[in-house]
Parts: sequence; structure tokens; C-alpha cells
Amino acid sequence: MKAASTSSGEDRSPGRIPARFGHTELPEEQHAALRKAKKFEWITIAFLTVSTAMIYLVLGNSQAVKAAWVEDVLSLLPPFSFLIAARVIRKQPSEEHPYGFHRAVGIAHVVASIALVVMGAYLIVDSGLGLVTGEHPTIGGFDFFGQTIWLGWIMIGAMLLTAGPPVYLGHVKMKLAKTLHDKVLYADAAMNKADWMTALAAAVGVAGIGIGWWWTDAVAALVISASILHDGVRNTRAAITALMDKHARTYDDSEPHPVGGQIDEYLEGLDWVETAKSRIRDEGHVFHVESFVVPAGQVMPTLERLEAARKACIDMDWKVQDMVIIPVSQLPSEYLPGIPSSGGER
Amino acid sequence: MGGKSFLQRGGTRFAAVLAFTAALAAALFLAGCQSVPVDPHGTLDRVSDGVMRVGASPNGEWVSLPPGGEPEGREADLVRDFAGKLNARIEWTTGTEYVLAEGIKHGELDLMIAGLNDKTPWEKHSGLTRGYTESTDERGTRHKHVMLIRQGENAFLLELDKFLMEAMTSK
Repeated sequence: MKAASTSSGEDRSPGRIPARFGHTELPEEQHAALRKAKKFEWITIAFLTVSTAMIYLVLGNSQAVKAAWVEDVLSLLPPFSFLIAARVIRKQPSEEHPYGFHRAVGIAHVVASIALVVMGAYLIVDSGLGLVTGEHPTIGGFDFFGQTIWLGWIMIGAMLLTAGPPVYLGHVKMKLAKTLHDKVLYADAAMNKADWMTALAAAVGVAGIGIGWWWTDAVAALVISASILHDGVRNTRAAITALMDKHARTYDDSEPHPVGGQIDEYLEGLDWVETAKSRIRDEGHVFHVESFVVPAGQVMPTLERLEAARKACIDMDWKVQDMVIIPVSQLPSEYLPGIPSSGGER
Repeated sequence: MGGKSFLQRGGTRFAAVLAFTAALAAALFLAGCQSVPVDPHGTLDRVSDGVMRVGASPNGEWVSLPPGGEPEGREADLVRDFAGKLNARIEWTTGTEYVLAEGIKHGELDLMIAGLNDKTPWEKHSGLTRGYTESTDERGTRHKHVMLIRQGENAFLLELDKFLMEAMTSK
């Protein structure tokens, strides 16, 4: 069922409805991961909705808590982006969109990360001004079931209470991001995992106000805003380079994706191939692969051999589906920058 | 970048331990302090058994200034009761809201009353009490009434908030 791209008529066996990203029918492992990721994104949204509403009620005058609250509100963006993108990319490629709709993921990623950059920068300026002008945060009493207690205690409590769950959600989603090769999910998980630091910083800021150090709040707010901006810049860079067709990398952008090497190695191992080299771009979840092969002895391979090689490559990894093999007399250095020039062509 | 680097993995665990220690230290430190919050400028300490500098600007039933006498009205009475609770003597200053708000901003006044609500523009350079009571004006708009204190004097503010809460519930 894997090499089903020969004709446009996609006659799938009835019964189980296959989960797909465009053409690509997901293997069972990815299918399960996708379902789980959707579930956890909904849990994240539910948790964040409750926690931001709760913190809004006790916002008070602490800049740090305000920054932490803004970050919580912003962390709603990646889950929504993920869920919307997961819906869009199920669409089949069409005549108008022959490459499918995978880029929806990249667009969602850019939008979410730009929001982080803007808010992070704004909060840095806002908190920095507070620090420079020596603004003393004023936090008074709070009516707690008929007792007036210091609102700061409530704020610290709220911060510590909401610090834990995102870390767990982040850990779960990080694993799924790897399975699904999903960078939005990765960005989301990374943010969640770091969320406890934000909450703790805000709590420390408020505790500082409590002992009469007015500046701890502004400093904590600066730390939080800087982390928001850092997340934003890091994600914007990753999202934009992916949209710019950078060579496909792993889900966390830490290294080139190994499947490229595997494909080249396999192709070069075939007895009719002299050399092979591929260029690969990341469409979101799936890759576009163009493999240039130089046939041994400059003899054009048979169609059967080409199709068999293509099928074998597609079977290597579920992400490889949209793949073409191009027989050439020598590897074209203009399309494969970095290969040792085979000399002469231009 | 990536979550795979050794630094980041080891770093997270290290940071967690560090943060836990810091939180613990902070908790102990806070518990050690007799009273939280603390005033950065020590207003509550200075006012108790001392002098409380209060600004009053006339505004309807809340603050009125009879010629030659001390300020009167609901808020003036409340402030007198509060001062009595702290065993403080009141030093009154009267004037327009702007003049008094400047006094609050520069720490020349501890407290200001002017029948203000929680939408007051003076909030930027001062601290507000909780809305201790509500009123409805002739246009039907509801107002939460507040008093102003010097920005960040949280112990003094908490004391005042507690007092206002009690004064309102005991009525």
C-alpha cells in the first residue's frame, strides 16, 4: 500500500479510516501519536484556560505575575496552531495544490513564534521602564472567605499551583513531537517544559515584594520577558528556515535528518548505480526528496529498476513519500551545493 | 538549540534542584520574617504611635472641609477611626486632587482621601486600597470607592484594607 502514488485514483481498502497527512497514510505508531497529541493539546488548552482565568483574578500590580500571565495566554497559540494545522494537512493534494497542504504547519509555526517575539519585546520594555523609574508594586489585601489576607500570598500560591502540570504535558508532547516529526508540537512542548521557571520566577518576584524589595518584581518580570523573547526568536528562526527549504533536519533542529544519508547509501549500494545524492526539504511532517543518480557505465536503467528503487526508499521512512529519482550523467552541482565538483560542467 | 544537547539535559535537572533549594530558602526566610508584607519606606512603623500625614480634597458626602475645622465626611471619619486604631495623630493637608496626588507620589503624604473610585488617573503614581464600598451616580454608573496611599507601602496598605473591610462589615 505504500507505493500508491502511481495514479491519482487512491483506492483504499474500506473499513478503517486511515489517518493521513495529505497523500501519506500514517503508520500505526504515528497514527496513535497523532491521536494522543490532539488529546494532549486539548488538555493543554483546558488547563491554560482555567489557569489564566484564575490568575487573572489575582493579577494585582505585580509586573512579574503579569508577564507570567501573558506567557500563559500566549502558550495557547501553539496548541491551537497544532490542532488547526492537523486538520488542514489532512487534505489531499489537488490540482491547485499539487504539493499538498503540509506547509500549513510551517505557517502556524511562524505565526505563533512572531506572537512570542512581539510580546516578549513589549514586556521587556514595560518591565525595564518599571525598574528604571523605580515603580514600587503595590499589593494590598484580598478578601479570602471573609478574611483579609495579603494578595501576594494568593499570587504566590496561584503561581506555584500552576507551575507543575505544564511540565508533565510538555514531557508527553515532546515524545510525540519526535514520533510525528512535528515542529509546532516540539515548540509547544519546549515552552510547556520551561513554564515552571516562569511561574517560579514570578513567585520569587512577589515574595521579594513581600519582604520589601520592590525591585525583585521588575527583575523577575525581565527574566520572564527575556525567556518569552528567547523562545520567540528561536522558534521564528526554526520556522522560517524550514519555510525557506533548508535541508531537512530532525524535529528539534539539532542535526540533519538521517533519512537523507540512508537514501543515498541505499541508492549507491544498488549495482546499477555509480553515485547518488539527494536534496531533501521538510514540508512540515513529510519530506520532498529529489535523488539524483548517476547510472553505472552511463547506461540508462530500466523503468522497473527505477520504480523498485523508489519503492524501497519510500519504505524506509513514512515521511518519505513524495520522492523522485532523476538519472543524470553526472551529479549536478548547481542543485546539490557542497558536492565535490565533478569537474568541467560549467 | 535542540533538546538533545548534554548541557540542556543536565541543565534542567540542575536548575530544578537549584530552584527547589531557592524556593525552600525563600520560604524559610519568609517564615522567619515576622510580618509579610514589609513597607519599603516603613510607613506603617512610622505612623503607628506617630503621625499620619493625610491629604483631603473635598468631594460630596465623602470629604467636606468646613471652614476653620477638620475635614469631615464618610472618608474623613473612616480615616480618624483608622488612625485611632494605630494610635496615630493625623496631620491634615487639604488641596486639589492634583496637589495631593503629587504629595503621595513624592512620599510627602501617607494617605489621600477625595471620594475617589478605582478608575482614578492618580493610580499611576500611587497605590489603591480595595474598593471598600460602592455607590451609583445619577447616570447609573457604579463606582468602587478607594483611598490612595504611597506606591508600594504594602504593609500599611494591608492594614488599611483590613480596617476598611472590618469597618464595612461591622456596619
